[in-house]
Amino acid sequence: MISISILLLIIIPLVVAFLIPLLDLYNKLLRRYLVIIGGVIEISISIYIIISYFSDLKAGKFFLTYYLGGWGPPFGINLVMDSVSLIFSSLISFALFFIIIYSIGFIGHHEGKYYVLFFLILGAMQGAILTGDMFNLYVFIELLTVTSAPLVAFKRNKHATEAAIKYMFYGVIGGLFFFVGVILLYFNIGSLNMAQLAQHFAEIENNMQLTIISIFLIGLLIKIGIFPFHFWLPKAHSACPSSLSALLSGVLLKVYLYIFIRLFWIVIGFEFLLEFNIASFLVYLALVSSLFGHVFALQASDIKRMLAFSSIGHIGMILAVFLLNTETGFYGGLLHIISHLLMKTGLFLSTGYLLQYTKSNHIDDFAGVGHQNKGIFVGFILLTLSMIGMPPFIGFFSKWYIIMAFLKIQHHFGAIVVVLGSLSAVFYYLRFIAKGYEKIKLSASDLKNEIYNRPILSVFYREKLVTTVIYIFVGMIILTGFSFRLFELPLQEGIKELINPQNYINLILGG
Amino acid sequence: MKKFLVGLLFIGLAFLLLINFAELPEEKLITFSLSDYYIGFGLEQTGALNLVTAILYDYRGFDSLGESTVIFAAVSGIVLILSRKMLPVSSHGLSFIVKRTLGILTPFIALFSLYVITHGHLTPGGGFQGGVILAAISIIFSIVYGSAFDYKRYSPELKTTFETGGALVFIIIGGLGILFDGFFLDNLDFLTHSPGTLISAGSIPLINIGIGFKVGAGLAIVFYSMIQKTFGEEF
Repeated sequence: MISISILLLIIIPLVVAFLIPLLDLYNKLLRRYLVIIGGVIEISISIYIIISYFSDLKAGKFFLTYYLGGWGPPFGINLVMDSVSLIFSSLISFALFFIIIYSIGFIGHHEGKYYVLFFLILGAMQGAILTGDMFNLYVFIELLTVTSAPLVAFKRNKHATEAAIKYMFYGVIGGLFFFVGVILLYFNIGSLNMAQLAQHFAEIENNMQLTIISIFLIGLLIKIGIFPFHFWLPKAHSACPSSLSALLSGVLLKVYLYIFIRLFWIVIGFEFLLEFNIASFLVYLALVSSLFGHVFALQASDIKRMLAFSSIGHIGMILAVFLLNTETGFYGGLLHIISHLLMKTGLFLSTGYLLQYTKSNHIDDFAGVGHQNKGIFVGFILLTLSMIGMPPFIGFFSKWYIIMAFLKIQHHFGAIVVVLGSLSAVFYYLRFIAKGYEKIKLSASDLKNEIYNRPILSVFYREKLVTTVIYIFVGMIILTGFSFRLFELPLQEGIKELINPQNYINLILGG
Repeated sequence: MKKFLVGLLFIGLAFLLLINFAELPEEKLITFSLSDYYIGFGLEQTGALNLVTAILYDYRGFDSLGESTVIFAAVSGIVLILSRKMLPVSSHGLSFIVKRTLGILTPFIALFSLYVITHGHLTPGGGFQGGVILAAISIIFSIVYGSAFDYKRYSPELKTTFETGGALVFIIIGGLGILFDGFFLDNLDFLTHSPGTLISAGSIPLINIGIGFKVGAGLAIVFYSMIQKTFGEEF
């Protein structure tokens, strides 16, 4: 069904980003209202899509498309939204709406360019998820790298600049590999449309298939941050302000995961990963990466670095469970993507609030924050409990399904890694929680030191806004924990699409 | 040792790529591939003599929107990272002879850039290329006359207006496509005269003008924020 609403999901953030500098010339105070209006429009489009096409979703034929410039596939660029994209796209509009509100209270300087880049990231994420064209996908991946790299350097100190350069370097290399892959696909098949590529991929020569797969794999593994290529991730995700860490670690990694899924299940087809024996190797690589992430998180003494390492652990787990290519695996993976997005975003946002008066992110400075901000710290503890996998929260259910998926096909190593990861998570989160409840005894010299070194500009000017957003995320993990069956319908439809990619090809190319 | 190993890795990778690119088949799998389609029907369907422009701004106009947004993002990022102060700090510029010569040359540079931008659908060139020439004027100004002169003539506010204005023109023309033909970025056919004339190819020249000003202003802003920083450190 042709629907303009999915185009608006991409265009609205771009228009807002283009309008912000113009509005800044006129009146800088109006910027905040424009930003909120942009977020509201974005989330209401997502809600509109869900409500108005709910009957289609129920009947199992949810499929929206849009032809840009009126050129239908395979000759023009087309946007596609199926159930998997619906899950990711609406999650992103939801999460970014709240991060925008948080930023209004959190970011105190250089706001103009911050929001410009923020909305460009939002547009690029939606574009990367909704596009049905390989080269268009590359353009949006490039846009994601170019927009997020300056934001990593947002603090403009030595540490942040180094992290940003590293991030830019790895991001560009990953994008380059992806681009070479797109070129090879085009030269072999002669089309850029995903459905047509999927239709003809089996006809390419065997070595060329292997080359294309491995080039795409290297590019995307760099982007996702799987073990041999993960070096850039903890630095980049801990160097920027907390709202951006939440964006990068909580949301952006899922977009790359989505691209991975879209590429290897729809365009290339999973049977080729099995044919070249890459799939089982990748499962072990992702699991080892997950283990490494959790082990490194144990020794991290910087809280944001610890959270970034834990992200590596969780993303590796999600990737591994997807690569099992079973129905329960997809269900657990998709559910954990939802839960990890909510938990990690909430954790980074609450960390940003807790660290407002501390000198650095180091664990020693974390002492006593639990007494200063009681409510938020309880929220922080609830989020970490969900991260570990405690029963009433959503983290438990998603992890449960992941373990079940591993056990169902007798993959014991995977189940052990998931359990070990949870156990080590108990230790590294408890360290910080215990430190947060430590009583601080200040000697006179300490007090003097504390007063002189306290950052002047750390006070939020809209504290209520910031705390409300954190409480919303805490409420979400509890609510979705009790009612995670809400996602049942789109998840089941998404799993059907991943198992049967031929359906996607037929819907786009018309039988 | 480390450098040697990295070099070895790169050579190996290059070798592998070379082998695989040499193996690329002459014929594409699809009998009627994208390039065949564009070459066969490009002029007829879009009315643009320059096929590259026809692909860039009509068949794959959305890619160009993305690419120009990449430039916009890069400009915003560089300004975010390098911005320190908005005071114009400037050198005195070069000698009188250079200044005078440039004064005579400038209108012609501007004319040439406008020609490249507006004739994008007829001859090689287009918005991106013409915009770079446009940016060269501002860059030469700040080198030859000093950046304070450039600041006075083309203030950052003006440049920002041009940049965002160009981007918005692109989106507005895309939106007009929805109004008149039903799809975003659809070619506005009623603007077409016979192919080969200046006013032809529908909305392609208009998009070119928007992108030209956007790219020109964007690159000028990038140069200005960089020069500001180096001068700030020198003086």
